[in-house]
Amino acid sequence: MGALKSTPAPIEHHDLSEKTGFSLRQIRVLHKRFKQLSEGDDVLRREDFLGISSLKYNPIRKEIIEAFFNRRNFSPSCEGRANEIDFEEFLVVMSHFKPPCSKMTDEQRKNIRREKLKFIFNMHDSDGDGLITLEDYRHVVEELLSRSGALGKETSRAIADAAMFEVARTVGHRDPDEFYEGITFEHFLKLLSNFDIESRMNIRFLKTDVIPGCRLG
Amino acid sequence: VSFYTKIMSWLTLPVDLLSKYLGLFTDVWLTLVFGFLIVPAVFGVPFGIHKYYIKILLSIFEWTTLQMELKAKEKNNQLYKHYTSGIIVKVPDSTLKQEIQDLRCSAGCLSLDPRLELADVFVFCRKALENIIDDDVTKRFSAQKLENWNLLTRSNHNFRYINLQLLALWILGVLIRYGVLLPFRVTVAVTGIFLFVVLSTVVGLIPCTKLRTYLSDKVHLMGYRLCVRSLTGIITYHNRENKPKNDGICVANHTTPIDGIVLANDHCYSLVGQLHGGLLGLIQRAMVKSSPHMWFERAEVKDRRLVAKRLRDHVADENKHPVLIFPEGTCVNNTSVMMFRKGSFEIGCTVYPAAIKYDPRFGDAFWNSSKFGLVGYLLRMMSSWAIVCSVWYLPPMNRKEGEDAMQFANRVKAAIAAQGGLVDLIWDAGLKRTKVKDTFKEEQQQLYSKILLGDHEYQNHP
Repeated sequence: MGALKSTPAPIEHHDLSEKTGFSLRQIRVLHKRFKQLSEGDDVLRREDFLGISSLKYNPIRKEIIEAFFNRRNFSPSCEGRANEIDFEEFLVVMSHFKPPCSKMTDEQRKNIRREKLKFIFNMHDSDGDGLITLEDYRHVVEELLSRSGALGKETSRAIADAAMFEVARTVGHRDPDEFYEGITFEHFLKLLSNFDIESRMNIRFLKTDVIPGCRLG
Repeated sequence: VSFYTKIMSWLTLPVDLLSKYLGLFTDVWLTLVFGFLIVPAVFGVPFGIHKYYIKILLSIFEWTTLQMELKAKEKNNQLYKHYTSGIIVKVPDSTLKQEIQDLRCSAGCLSLDPRLELADVFVFCRKALENIIDDDVTKRFSAQKLENWNLLTRSNHNFRYINLQLLALWILGVLIRYGVLLPFRVTVAVTGIFLFVVLSTVVGLIPCTKLRTYLSDKVHLMGYRLCVRSLTGIITYHNRENKPKNDGICVANHTTPIDGIVLANDHCYSLVGQLHGGLLGLIQRAMVKSSPHMWFERAEVKDRRLVAKRLRDHVADENKHPVLIFPEGTCVNNTSVMMFRKGSFEIGCTVYPAAIKYDPRFGDAFWNSSKFGLVGYLLRMMSSWAIVCSVWYLPPMNRKEGEDAMQFANRVKAAIAAQGGLVDLIWDAGLKRTKVKDTFKEEQQQLYSKILLGDHEYQNHP
């Protein structure tokens, strides 16, 4: 007995499972969701994401949606942006948030952490030059704060500037007028080295199978 | 001997009355019920047809789901089956502040720091991903929605006419459930409770302690067995070598008032709770005559020290059974485990955790106390197909050095959640009574900017 199985998983799903680390069951669920978002199509476009109502409340929804179309998130060697993505690319982006296995070497853990942070870095670095410049950061803070009208544009700009100044100071720039190109990925890793992000950047899937046996009291 | 005959005449009185007025029909029915359900339950003899019952039901459900899928295909709709509470965990916005503070504390820094704004983005990132995968707000307190339709309209909110065969099957199902199963079950339940109350009182009168304990265990087990039969409960117990012993407390996750019955069906426990009035109170009072359960008056419940002291005394006594406690404090819909109240973990004795997981395909055991009263709930239970669940006994746990009660409670909770395949949540089940929807209306940006602004103000006033 067990959960209802309609058809066996296609070969592609097995390959995807190898590549992304999701289980077959998770891939099946995500495939259904992909089909629903794309309304039966084989590719997803930006407009399809805009249809998700709960996403409306999220201050960084544009950045998140962009992250799905950012080729740098598909593989480290790719560049540029796509206009449509297929299921494999959808899964690859999702795999940045997959739950950790209990059995992992330290090396693997470090790699996973690096991948997750690269995802966040790419989100901040909107022009794709490998640096989070002052402009990039101002933009993100503005998205987070000033859209609601609670803080004015000036204030959020000031907060962003102050934050960047603090970061610049940690690298050794003392003078506020001195030009600071931006945060590199290595520096970004160092800044966030104390944060426990592994457990916070995960989508936890639930187990719902219960196998009933038969025993009477 | 006359005492014995008195009891027998009490038992046969309702039967005689029914016989007189309903005649042959009742006789046949009662013979069936007693012969096949009650007597075996009283003596603990397994009956054995449940395996086939389940198999038949499952193949019928497969067929009905197939019908629904075919119909949906005809209309060119994707039959997207909602895993509303089934795919992923979500944290509601009321804990957004907590998540952010949590994240900051994990880095060990308290003052404002540019790294903090960078890290706050994680929280929004994850929320966005969750919405992309599943964009209904988690209703962790409403019943799980099923992938297959099990012929109960209560579990399929999109029920509409599909085809004639499905409708006929559903009507047949209703007739069987309400016409055949429900009366049987009600009879068994009533008989069971009646027998239990009477026998428990009788056993309580026996002066010799050893004999009394032995008999009271038997009577209690019989009573619970009958209750389980009355719900057509099919329970699988795993890891029975870890069964609780007399020197500790047993904790389990709470889904329904039936949890106690499910656990007590296999082993004798001492229950803890508030003394009620009415029928429930009668049963409670009868129970306590033969076995030391702990029922508190309403006023005593508030006095935590008194409760703790009684628990401690009970646990210290080797001859008394382990105490059964449900630390969540309220019923949760069996997809997750909520925060445990730390009171029971402060006693300092061995804790025997148990995980209970219900299979929702045959009947949803969750009691949504804001929607149904107890009687309504029991009727729903008795008109479902069956209550199928698994119980896992976990190895005993003790409080470690330097661990406080809350940490111990969380450790136990994590073990239970892991075993039962449930999600381990940090927030309080008491939240189910407050409206989460209102906080959801507040835009996340405003919430976040308040948090950030609050910190900034602090920084500007040295």
